[in-house]
Amino acid sequence: MRKRWNGVKLISLVLLGVLTIGWAGFSIVSHELNSGKKKTIIFVPKTIDTTIEFWQVMRQGVASAAKEFDAEVEVMGTRAEVDVDEQIALLQEAIKKKPEAIILAATDYNRVVPVAKEIVAAGIKLITVDSGLNGGISTSFIGTDNTDAGRRTAEILHTHVDSHAEIAVINFVKESATAMERESGALEILRRYGNYTVLGPFYSNGSVQTAYDIASSLLKTQPNLKAIIGLNEPTVFGIGKAIQDLKMKSQVFAVGIDSSMGEIRMLEDGVLLATVIQKPFNMGYSAVKTAVEVIDGKRVSPRIDTGSKVITKENMYSNENQKLLFPFVE
Amino acid sequence: MNGWNPLKHHSIHTHIAIAFSCLILCTTALLSYSTYKLSSDAVTRNSQEYTSQLIEQVKVNIQTYISNMESIAALAMRSNDLQRYLKQNEPAFVKPLMKKQVSQYFNSIVTSRNDISSILFISDRGDEIVSNRESAEFNSIAQIKEQDWYKKVLGTDQAYISSSHVQRIFRDEYRWVVSISRELSATEDTIGGVLLVDLNYKLINNLCQQIELGKRGYVFIVDPSGDLVYHPQQQLVYSQLKSEQLDKVLQMWNGSMTLGEGNDKKIYTVNTTSFGWKIVSVTYPDELVGNKRQIQFTSALWGTLCLVVALAISIILSYALTKPLKKLEMNMKLAERGDFDIRVEIDSKNEIGKLARTFNIMISKIKELMSQVVAEQEMKRVSELKALQAQIQPHFLYNTLDSIIWMAEMGKMEEVVDMTSALSKLLRSTISKGDELIPISVELEHIKHYLTIQKMRYRNKFTYSIDVDEGIGNCQILKLVLQPIVENAIYHGMKHKPETGHIRITGRSVGDDIELQVIDDGIGMDPEAARTLLERKVASRSGNGVGVVNVDHRIKLNFGAAYGLWFESDLEEGMSVTMRIPLLREVEQT
Repeated sequence: MRKRWNGVKLISLVLLGVLTIGWAGFSIVSHELNSGKKKTIIFVPKTIDTTIEFWQVMRQGVASAAKEFDAEVEVMGTRAEVDVDEQIALLQEAIKKKPEAIILAATDYNRVVPVAKEIVAAGIKLITVDSGLNGGISTSFIGTDNTDAGRRTAEILHTHVDSHAEIAVINFVKESATAMERESGALEILRRYGNYTVLGPFYSNGSVQTAYDIASSLLKTQPNLKAIIGLNEPTVFGIGKAIQDLKMKSQVFAVGIDSSMGEIRMLEDGVLLATVIQKPFNMGYSAVKTAVEVIDGKRVSPRIDTGSKVITKENMYSNENQKLLFPFVE
Repeated sequence: MNGWNPLKHHSIHTHIAIAFSCLILCTTALLSYSTYKLSSDAVTRNSQEYTSQLIEQVKVNIQTYISNMESIAALAMRSNDLQRYLKQNEPAFVKPLMKKQVSQYFNSIVTSRNDISSILFISDRGDEIVSNRESAEFNSIAQIKEQDWYKKVLGTDQAYISSSHVQRIFRDEYRWVVSISRELSATEDTIGGVLLVDLNYKLINNLCQQIELGKRGYVFIVDPSGDLVYHPQQQLVYSQLKSEQLDKVLQMWNGSMTLGEGNDKKIYTVNTTSFGWKIVSVTYPDELVGNKRQIQFTSALWGTLCLVVALAISIILSYALTKPLKKLEMNMKLAERGDFDIRVEIDSKNEIGKLARTFNIMISKIKELMSQVVAEQEMKRVSELKALQAQIQPHFLYNTLDSIIWMAEMGKMEEVVDMTSALSKLLRSTISKGDELIPISVELEHIKHYLTIQKMRYRNKFTYSIDVDEGIGNCQILKLVLQPIVENAIYHGMKHKPETGHIRITGRSVGDDIELQVIDDGIGMDPEAARTLLERKVASRSGNGVGVVNVDHRIKLNFGAAYGLWFESDLEEGMSVTMRIPLLREVEQT
């Protein structure tokens, strides 16, 4: 009788073992299959305005990375870049969708902070792109090193303008971190090299007209003015227009940051010496890549510089720069 | 001698189960693996085939675009409008008209096709531009002539096909195009120039973007000089965030190669167009793993299921196989304990069935042998008894014959006759019946003859009386058991007694037994010696009590240890011998 009991025990033990192994195998494999599940990410750019190339290109980068890293990215954005309240509302909506990560290009350095804190509190990974937030709430910020971009504007001038010239700096706003970083970068270089007299910084408030007015008066009143640095696109455009209108392109060098069709024209016409452009495609791509890494629990750098590029008339049609300057957007 | 054997102490059942399990495990693993391998190979092959078909399709489409453009360029070049425009000897005032006609002709081509974004002609003399747009504002001629499609086509009679680039002919217009240019050489009466046909880059972009190669796979196009015509992540490539193995791709004409390691492993499949562009598809082999995972999962699942079922069956089978063996073992255990009446009931005709049958035969053989041994033992005992009986007769005969001789010498003829007749009756009763058991009455008759003889021999040295219950006369007793006792009483009790002694024989039934007593009033013996009389066994043949010991032995052999003789005696007090035998009626015997 004992023998028989032993036999039963053996049979059940073996069966149990096999079932356990089978179950373990099954769960491992099914876990592996589940791990192939798409990661959910919500991308909130400053605007979804399709006429603004910068954000369109960033979305291309986002889409490209989403495909490559097999993530499901939903884009939620406001129609206008200045609509901070709507972005906050959108972010609250995004939290309800419970994505694994949110990639945010903040429309305001300070006002978006409370809702950003809500995002983090909800256990959603927060990545900021292009425009960060006060206090560094996000796990990682992906964007252009604006100080570096500012430095580059001054560095180009340094090779073209003799060291005793007057150089004007027209910034866009005082409150923006981006603006201040660019400004400090530009000023740092101007002070380091030569004995430049820095005029300004002036503030255009991002308005073409204000920039135009400032530049015009400077061009008219400062005979020793040899160069103007504009720290964002509308500002540079205003400066360019002033130079064009006053027909002073042979006397004054203008350098800017960011590009537009108008600026490209000015580059071709020699009104602008150079412009430092950002890489929105790379921003979008890196933001998604970083978000995926954060979701996967990897350590990421809190600050990822996507680089900038100095574009001049000479190099603007190089293979490499064509794609940056004239992004292919349908 | 014995090597290490971990299974030494386990049952066959376990052996079979383990052997089966190993076998099944190996087989299932092998089968699952080969199934997986075959399927995944098939998946890989299929996907590679699919990929190469896909990029073949892309190549065909692009080639169609390009060759269309080439034929349009050829067509435009040969058109009457352009030919006339090129004529040098036309009067100057006709030129604007002709220019207009050419422009209209170009425009008719462009509007009829959505793949062409512009057609224009730059004359090498006067740097005049004729485009499909009549009233277009152009960038500076110098700027235009800087472009590759112009610079590189000069001096060749081949069409130049540019990489994708931003066309900068029209002012404030930056279109992505692929340019085809051809030089029209100047002749004596015609001016020369370059004809340009721009293909809308969007077509190539869309064509390549549509291609789905798994989740991450993509297509890119590279021109012979290594410029990327199309790449979904061109910016990343230029920013060095990504790299393609362009040098290796450029060395390849058609075919595929695997580059990179581990997760970054990519399969590059290259297909080169007739004009040198290479259509390259990049697929990730680990993406097939998506499929492979499925296959892995399925094969693992089925493998496990088969394993479970097969193992269960193997256990049941091994159990079923060893069950008769166990049964056999149990029966063998019974046999071990001495039960030879068992039979193993196993009907199967296999080895175990044969074993069981052999075992049955063996057991019956053993049983036979056992009974044979018992029978032989019995025979031996009987022969021993016979020998014992035979021992008595000569012993007594010698003595009686001695007495007869003595009496004959004394001339006591009458007594010689009496004694001889008594002896004759005695011998007859002893010899005539071969049966071991006889009725008590016959035995008593026999003892009477014997006592007659002895009484004569010892000249009335003793008297005797027989007092046996009538009821037990029919009961069975061993032949010649009383005689040695009486003989003993005479020889050792009476012979040395000075006065006449008396021997009394009594008999009665006590419960299921019969007790016969021979009591004498002879000289008796030491009580201790009387008790140990039987233990002396065969002390000396002629000595005291040989016959008595034999009688006791015979009774015990026949009826068991509970029966036999008991002696009671004391010096000068005579002796009493009690014989106990079972009560056996003659009726029961027959």
